[in-house]
Amino acid sequence: MKKVLAIGWVNIVRFMRERANLFFVFAFPLLLILLLGAMYGGGFDTKVGVLVEGPGGPLADRLVAAVEDLDETTVVAYDSEPSLIDAVQRGRADGGLVIPSGYDAALVEGGRAEVTFIGRPADQTAQLLQVSVSEVLAAELAPVRAARFAEVETGDSFDALLARARVVVPQSERVSVSYREAGEPIFEGIEELGAFDLGASQQLVLFMFLTSLAGSAALIQSRRLGVTRRMLSTPSSTLVIVGGEATGRFAVAIIQGVYIMVGTLLIFGVNWGSPLGAIAVLIMFSLVGAGAAMLMGALFHNDQQAGGLGVLIALGLGALGGSMVPIEIFPDNIQTVAKFTPHSWAIDAFAELVRRDGSIVDILPQLGVLAAFAAVMLLLATWRLQRVLTR
Amino acid sequence: MSDNNLVLEASGLHKSFKDLHAVKGVSFHIATGETYGLLGPNGAGKTTTISMVTGLLERDGGEVVVDGREISTTSTEAKRAIGYVPQDIAIYPDLTARENLSFFGRLYGMSAKPLRGRVDEVLDIIGLSDRADDRSEEFSGGMKRRLNIGIGLLHGPRLLMLDEPTVGVDPQSRNAILESVERLSVEGMAVLYTTHYMEEAERLCDRVGIIDEGEIKAEGTRAELVSMVGQRDKVRLSATGHLDAAVEAVRAIPGVHDASTREDGIDLLVDGADRALPSILQAVAAAETSVSSVAVDEPNLEAVFLHLTGKALRD
Repeated sequence: MKKVLAIGWVNIVRFMRERANLFFVFAFPLLLILLLGAMYGGGFDTKVGVLVEGPGGPLADRLVAAVEDLDETTVVAYDSEPSLIDAVQRGRADGGLVIPSGYDAALVEGGRAEVTFIGRPADQTAQLLQVSVSEVLAAELAPVRAARFAEVETGDSFDALLARARVVVPQSERVSVSYREAGEPIFEGIEELGAFDLGASQQLVLFMFLTSLAGSAALIQSRRLGVTRRMLSTPSSTLVIVGGEATGRFAVAIIQGVYIMVGTLLIFGVNWGSPLGAIAVLIMFSLVGAGAAMLMGALFHNDQQAGGLGVLIALGLGALGGSMVPIEIFPDNIQTVAKFTPHSWAIDAFAELVRRDGSIVDILPQLGVLAAFAAVMLLLATWRLQRVLTR
Repeated sequence: MSDNNLVLEASGLHKSFKDLHAVKGVSFHIATGETYGLLGPNGAGKTTTISMVTGLLERDGGEVVVDGREISTTSTEAKRAIGYVPQDIAIYPDLTARENLSFFGRLYGMSAKPLRGRVDEVLDIIGLSDRADDRSEEFSGGMKRRLNIGIGLLHGPRLLMLDEPTVGVDPQSRNAILESVERLSVEGMAVLYTTHYMEEAERLCDRVGIIDEGEIKAEGTRAELVSMVGQRDKVRLSATGHLDAAVEAVRAIPGVHDASTREDGIDLLVDGADRALPSILQAVAAAETSVSSVAVDEPNLEAVFLHLTGKALRD
């Protein structure tokens, strides 16, 4: 066992001495998770930039407050139109609302006021926001119109009539479109997920496997340097040598996995479900990565060839296994094929833990399949390496 | 030589790679403190032989016993007695000299404390103590070669196998390597040394096996090998005086097989020039001929190889 650990330790030391490795193992995954979370995550508020021109008034203030009351919406005040347009152009605000000077007076006196909405071209978020703002505006104007009509008919005070109209025409009486769900949700439990929860486990699996396969180049280098063969001239069996090399790759994979897991938990608040279950998946998938790296390292003779092919294989299996796009949106036959990738089993295990509040017992089937993947690849690598080194 | 003094016994080794029969029935043995050389050109089968003896390569036939234990690709215990120095430099370039040595020390099963001390000793032996903590990728070719050898010495093996350890090495490092091997032999280590440099085999090896096309063509001490092919020493005397009379006189001396005059002296073919030379010089002087210089060309292993195979070592 000491020899296995010695070989594993040397692998870790050599891996960590390469600066590019440190970037791709530690910095890059978190950056990507942040990027994808920002792009596709549902946990961010929509930002509306608001410019109230002139002195404003109670009706303008009510409109701003009503926009802010929209679900997951934050209002940011701007003091000039150029700064608001700049914010929208740069994506700091999803849309901009300009309430003109004299908005209050126009509504009270029956004049014309033109509220402007600013959005980026072909931006779906801006388009949806504009619809919501229009609804808010319509809701705000309904009691104003009623009060003005009553003022004309009765000659009473507009302010009193407006207060009365707001009671008579509450917002809850607006005509609304209700939404009813039909069938099973594509992403079970997704409504409970944070911005990064869905992408984090996919990225974790993708990067662990990618790093592992990249590590196959180190094994080939070691063979080409003659160091692996020299190890065989010591009182160490092939099994010990393969075990040691695999331990190194396993260690790198699990270090990266733990780092991503803890990092995303602390920085982005990612939910990984049951800690015991998550660690079990991490261990099993690290073994799969180590097995795959060993097999690649035993099959190929050229480290650059293996490195390039490793990236392709890792990305291909990752895409098929649901690391890039959730597997649930694939057609049924592709989902069946995806079952031949370890990624799909690992992601499924995380889905069980995170979306369905599963425990380690619930993911035993997935863990078993991952263990089988790892065992088969390690056995094949051992057999192949023995042949390559001694014939 | 008694059998219990033997560290290595290799008998009837065979190895083929597809259609190429690389090693054909190679047998040899090495005793404690003996340096045995496998001398042959590139492609003669030296590395294949040493790989089988080290248990790195599966053999098609034959047997290897090291320190009383059979060696195969799957045996581990028997390998404790072996220190292997491969022809290509097999070290991690991104580890320091100390880290490389410590790593292999652990693979030989050495525990931490003795290993630390032994690493310092070996660094001293190979002359890398002052560069111990530098990465080996920063070393010169000669320094890398020395580290390559140091790894083989680390665990104090009974048998050290060096596969062409001086290939591509500058003269200074080469000499340092040869001196180290001589010292190890004196200290009682058995050494198997493969080379295609005749000078190295003559300098280091107690016995030499001349190998070509996968077969050991001849084996023995340098003197045995030379005598085996009937080569004689060439003696060239630069002399003036009665050269014909001198030639007649030396022909009568036992061991002198041929003598002839040339413009500025006499050429002789002699068995054992070192023994016959005093008598020759005495006879020449008696023939009123004065000798200004003597040159002796002893037959060497190059000549033996040429005689046995019909080609030069570096062909």
